[in-house]
Amino acid sequence: MTTILTGGVGKTEVADAVRRLAPAGVEAVVSNDMDAVALLQAGRADYFLGTCQTGAGASLGVLVGLMGAATCHTFGRSVPSVEEIDTLLDQGKRVFGFAVDQVDAIVPALVLAIATRA
Amino acid sequence: MSSTVLAASTGLDFSLAQQLTVVALCALTAFLAHLALAVFNDGLRPFMLDFVQGRTTRSATTAVSFGLSAGFIFGLGAPMALSSGTLNPWLLFLPTDILGLLAPKKWLAPVLGGAWGGVVVFGLKGANDLAHDLPVDFLTALQQMATPILFLFTLFPVLAITKQFGKLLGGLAGVVELALVVLTMKVWPDVFAGAPAMAVGVLLLIGCAVARDVRQRRAAERAAAGAVPAAGEEASTVTSGRAPGGVDPMASLFGASAARLRRHLPLFMVLGAGICLLSQLHVFGGGEATSFLIAKGQYAEAAQVDFYRALGFIPLIATTALASGAYGIVGFTLVYPIGYLLPSPWPALVCGALVFAVEVLALSWIGKALGRLPSVRDSSQHLRGAIGDTLHLAILFGSLMAAHAMGGGLGILIAGGLYLLNEAMGRVVVRMAAAPAAVLVTGIVLNVLHWLHLFTPIKT
Repeated sequence: MTTILTGGVGKTEVADAVRRLAPAGVEAVVSNDMDAVALLQAGRADYFLGTCQTGAGASLGVLVGLMGAATCHTFGRSVPSVEEIDTLLDQGKRVFGFAVDQVDAIVPALVLAIATRA
Repeated sequence: MSSTVLAASTGLDFSLAQQLTVVALCALTAFLAHLALAVFNDGLRPFMLDFVQGRTTRSATTAVSFGLSAGFIFGLGAPMALSSGTLNPWLLFLPTDILGLLAPKKWLAPVLGGAWGGVVVFGLKGANDLAHDLPVDFLTALQQMATPILFLFTLFPVLAITKQFGKLLGGLAGVVELALVVLTMKVWPDVFAGAPAMAVGVLLLIGCAVARDVRQRRAAERAAAGAVPAAGEEASTVTSGRAPGGVDPMASLFGASAARLRRHLPLFMVLGAGICLLSQLHVFGGGEATSFLIAKGQYAEAAQVDFYRALGFIPLIATTALASGAYGIVGFTLVYPIGYLLPSPWPALVCGALVFAVEVLALSWIGKALGRLPSVRDSSQHLRGAIGDTLHLAILFGSLMAAHAMGGGLGILIAGGLYLLNEAMGRVVVRMAAAPAAVLVTGIVLNVLHWLHLFTPIKT
């Protein structure tokens, strides 16, 4: 089971969006930045999706500082292509930030890419 | 209610003392951004750690800062300042983040920051006068935003409660708030109708959150006492899962950051004094709704609104500051309400310095306390989400009212059309800023149409 944690201002919307997609082997858990760090580091969760107004920084909260920039990526306000998402997952990115008004555009592509690796 | 519609009449007429305060404060904030000691944009702060530790360059960080802030400066800060006639932090401090980081030399940062302060206090007045003299006066029309912002903002605690604690409590809070608004209008007509309702709403939210945290901690203690490993329920994610043994990485990072900020305490005290002074001068509103309240001289109400708003931001500012080693330019925003309420500049300087000293010294303790209060941190996130939701509707509606005031149906067509076009194009402009920006464009288009004898300005 792949666990996706959600955090930031749109955490419930993102978790709902993941559950609506209902990909096999993936579960969404509403969390927050500080708890997410502990869960990711303990191996009890796999990915973190954070949201905020700008899609950068506040959506990732303390994760950039604690997990290291190498595992974090922010789409900001842009909508990534499927290839871009695959490349990022290949690079080992596990923490993603994006703008709360782009949830509908980003979550499906990102979660399906994660599900194919589950 | 008509009194709230025309929030500001003149505005942006600054005395020399006010101009000097703005210039000096902008110089200081740019200097602090240059040293990576504090930035205003909460979104930028997590990126400051890499910069502080030398893993990214100054130019890369400047680019991030510009990308995060530009939309808010031109879409939110500038239209808010022009329509309310008071300054705001987005207009003053987002640019000083960028300019401070941009400056390659230490001495250049305050020069650039001060220059921006000058541009604002002198240039904005000129732009303001020029726009008011146009045949289609779109700045007076923009004051239409005041009413929807002020009244819808009242509801943000209700939205936060609904999202965090469900429909029943949310609906209950909504009824209580509405009753309070009606009661306030009837019994205390001089008080801003939303203020008591907002107070009760926020207290209700915080109360629910603390109660939930206490309940969950007791349950966890009981489970630990019974030596029964907690089942894998959603609630068990709370503060659990920390690796046994070894140094808690969060504690060590947070400790180093707090120590870095404490080393620069005197500089932060000067900053706090400056921000508090600016608030005391009553030419500055810290929040979206506050600018209009300050413009109307309702300082007690403004203080109340910004105090509740602060509750939504304190956990965010504390955790990002502890994670990055860069503090907020305006601290926990608590110096705003204190400044509005103080009678004269000198106590504002003293109080501002003391408040910032306490904030910086208490930062590690606040971080630890927040670690034990996950529901309170959730509440603050829901509050910020709710502030965004209420403002989105208020700004959109107010913008369409402004478009209607200056151009009738044609105004609505152009402004609303530009907003919809932005949506259809995947939100090129940040959603929050899209409507005010559309109004500004509409104002220009209507003036051009007037010049071409295709549009007659609407007389009000």
